[in-house]
Amino acid sequence: MQSNEFDGNAAFSGGGFMPSQATQTTPDRPSSASKNSDARCLLPLTVKQLVDLSRGGESDISIEGVDVNNIVLVGKVSKIDNAVSECTFRVDDGTGWVECTKWVHEHLDSVEVDAISVGMYVRVYGQLKSIHSRRTVHTFSIRPVTDYNEITNHFIECIYVHFYNTKMRGCINTQPGMTNSVSGMTAQPQVANSNFGDPGKGYSYEANQTSQYNNDEEQIRALSSMVLQYLRQPACIAFEMGVSSVVVARELNISVDKVRQTLDFLASEGLVYTTTDDYFKFTDA
Amino acid sequence: MQDMDISSPAAFVNGGLLRMHLGRKVRTVLQVTQSDIASVMGKSTDGYQLVAKGSPPVPLTSYVEVVGVAENENTIRAELWTNFGDTFDASSYDQLCQLANGEFKQLFL
Repeated sequence: MQSNEFDGNAAFSGGGFMPSQATQTTPDRPSSASKNSDARCLLPLTVKQLVDLSRGGESDISIEGVDVNNIVLVGKVSKIDNAVSECTFRVDDGTGWVECTKWVHEHLDSVEVDAISVGMYVRVYGQLKSIHSRRTVHTFSIRPVTDYNEITNHFIECIYVHFYNTKMRGCINTQPGMTNSVSGMTAQPQVANSNFGDPGKGYSYEANQTSQYNNDEEQIRALSSMVLQYLRQPACIAFEMGVSSVVVARELNISVDKVRQTLDFLASEGLVYTTTDDYFKFTDA
Repeated sequence: MQDMDISSPAAFVNGGLLRMHLGRKVRTVLQVTQSDIASVMGKSTDGYQLVAKGSPPVPLTSYVEVVGVAENENTIRAELWTNFGDTFDASSYDQLCQLANGEFKQLFL
């Protein structure tokens, strides 16, 4: 990182580290599609990230129990279990430890594992596997670290890739059609959101997270303006006490919870204020 | 039987960050200035003089990584030592310490 114009994308691209433009899609596509695109990524991770991501439910690493991502870890070997056809290394990278198992079938494999000893720093390439709910890293390659700057470098890569991936996903979740420039790259998000632009369906709860995000925002805006409009009516302004949220809910035919949420939001914006418990008045009367 | 464990992480620290983790497990790289049989004195990646108590490896290279418990603002009770050689990019490591304790703490601790 000596040059002032360190172009992270140029440096990290091409090695399979970053999801290429072709694989940049919304994070919540059906899992079969994600499997294909994500399988081409190699993610540098800390053990902490690995544990957090593989905790079940939605994750990058394991989708419906099938592990699709290749990962890189750098850490210290704290334990070695040498069996006939496999060798298991406990790799501790300072954030946690994980067991990495390398199958030994050929001479090259035994040469590889024999080079590793306890206390050594290693770089591990592998895939997280879950067998009988026991998670291990199925190891493709494990080799000693000789230049210790590699350790610093690995963790900085973890930070960079994490930041890049989450920022990209944050950008993708905003209005589709916007041109997002992230670190100099322009990504056209392909939002699989059939409900966007259809006002009729805009307020319904969607199982698809991406469209729900869009709909939440729209929903909040729509509700806010409805409630505000209602409270601005001369009849409401005339009430010195203001209007109770229950009445607002009844009049607008929205649930009381939603109305209360909206009123809280409007109050925090300063557009309405409470006169007494649960009674609201439009501010600029 | 446990398969993975993140219960006892070692925080990346430099001289200035050590005080934030007193009593807890930390890791840092020191540039060795002085060493004897029971301790090593070294310069942290941000220029502080720190002491690492314990039995350092023999021979000791210019840079050494120490993993141990932070006893006070400038002392670590070392548990693991690793020779990091004679050339090491201290400024990158220093920046990593700051990121790993700040904006990206959740990836580490």
